[in-house]
Amino acid sequence: MDYVIDLIIIGLSVGMVYALVALGISLIFSGLDIVHFAHGEIYMLGAFIGLMLFQKLALPYVPTLLLAIVLTGLLGVLIERLFYRRLTRSGGGYTVAGMGMIIAGFGMSIVLQNVAYLVWGAKPLPFPVPFGMPVEIGNLALPMSYVWIVVAAIVLMFGLHLLLRKTMLGLAMRAVAYNKDIAYLSGVNVPLMISLTFGIGCALGAAAGVLIGPINYVQVQMGIGVLIKAFAAAVVGGFGSLPGAILGGLLVGVVESLGAGFISGTYKDVYAFILLIFVLMVKPSGILGVEAKVKA
Amino acid sequence: MLDIKDLVGGYGTVQILNGASLKVARGQIVALLGGNGTGKSTLLKATSGLIRPWSGSITFDGERIDGLRPDKIVKRGLVQVTQGKEAFPGMTVEENLRLGAYTVGDRAKTASALERVYGYFPILKEKRKQLSGTLSGGQLQMVCIGRGLMSSPKMIMLDEPSAALAPQVVMDIFRTIHRITRDGMTVLMVEQNVRMALLLAQYGYVIKDGVIHIEGPAEKLMYDDNVRLSYLGGTVANREAQL
Repeated sequence: MDYVIDLIIIGLSVGMVYALVALGISLIFSGLDIVHFAHGEIYMLGAFIGLMLFQKLALPYVPTLLLAIVLTGLLGVLIERLFYRRLTRSGGGYTVAGMGMIIAGFGMSIVLQNVAYLVWGAKPLPFPVPFGMPVEIGNLALPMSYVWIVVAAIVLMFGLHLLLRKTMLGLAMRAVAYNKDIAYLSGVNVPLMISLTFGIGCALGAAAGVLIGPINYVQVQMGIGVLIKAFAAAVVGGFGSLPGAILGGLLVGVVESLGAGFISGTYKDVYAFILLIFVLMVKPSGILGVEAKVKA
Repeated sequence: MLDIKDLVGGYGTVQILNGASLKVARGQIVALLGGNGTGKSTLLKATSGLIRPWSGSITFDGERIDGLRPDKIVKRGLVQVTQGKEAFPGMTVEENLRLGAYTVGDRAKTASALERVYGYFPILKEKRKQLSGTLSGGQLQMVCIGRGLMSSPKMIMLDEPSAALAPQVVMDIFRTIHRITRDGMTVLMVEQNVRMALLLAQYGYVIKDGVIHIEGPAEKLMYDDNVRLSYLGGTVANREAQL
């Protein structure tokens, strides 16, 4: 029994990482109506930026995390402004640019991987953070790096919740997510809100990258696996639903951890997709998903 | 206050407005009438900035506003309330209204605008904590008009405020629009309910094929044979055609 609890605790903490990435994907989907396929690379860049801040500038871990989040968020805004938005110039905005946006996302993913390869090389880099002794929970010694993931993820999720629910800015972002025309006519600067939504989505991905860094190595390819799992998490929870993304991420983490513990660690990456297929069979809109939103 | 000259525009490559011109004086209620697909809503969208006009000019309060982004036009005091009672269903009534004051950025002003809107629509105050997805059609229309008023605009454009509402509710809405204009608001109103619109308005325009076809004081249009033939009877014929 203790073994099960241990696996669940580890699953939940890794699940927080998936949840953060899935949250970013869902946020971008709800705000811009695009599925951002370069989000794994944003996560990877966040980890590299964090590593550079930590090693080259010798910043402590918390400022590293915060600064990496901000920098990657700004990078996201830049990518949205310079590249993605051009695709919407022909009119109709993001909603209409659909297929082109997906291809552009894949393209961006390849470009960012290669840029990272040029800058940092192909070798996995360690991200050694002296966190101190593991925390004893029952007979599980949970490394501090996992505790940090959980604490930081909860703080970020709560912060996002406050932003979206309690501030005028959040109200405007929600309005843009639901109906851009009406948001415009209410006086909201829609292009700015779109950039902001995209930037926050990227910032969440970067946070996940910096948090996973001390556990895994930081490397150019690290985004690919996480993107697919976060995507599975977002779909399991209900695509576009923010609570759903969190729930989906945690579920994927726990299922993966239990599968690795009881069945076989070799097939660790398979369990998330078994969960995905199961949820799609039982409730195609995802656990907390609503019916597809009707677009005018 | 609003002066639209030779406006040409449309969607994609489809031209809908073929040089429409109209004027609204300060404090007036002006009705814009016409059948389906004649360019009424397109004209409003071009004026509010949702679509960019191809040529022609739009002057509001002495300044050109054509080609500006919609939020900039709202800031100048011209607000459009769209057709179809589009509120944000996942937001409470009060959140919907507060969103309308996005450009205000001043707590005290927002609070007094909110009280004014609740004064026009007391039912909204009762339901302010409810999600707008749970409201009736008439209440939704009130939320939309209320949201338009929240930025304390100089002029408001209403796109078919009576569409798909019960007659009793339509009366309520029109009565409130009348009150709003009595308090100094300038209104441009697109309507299918021609009789009601002309009763409320001082001046009317009839648009056909993207150009202004007939214009004149409301009481004159009411008895104009062309208008009566095409629109006062026509709306009934249109309704039947739709059924």
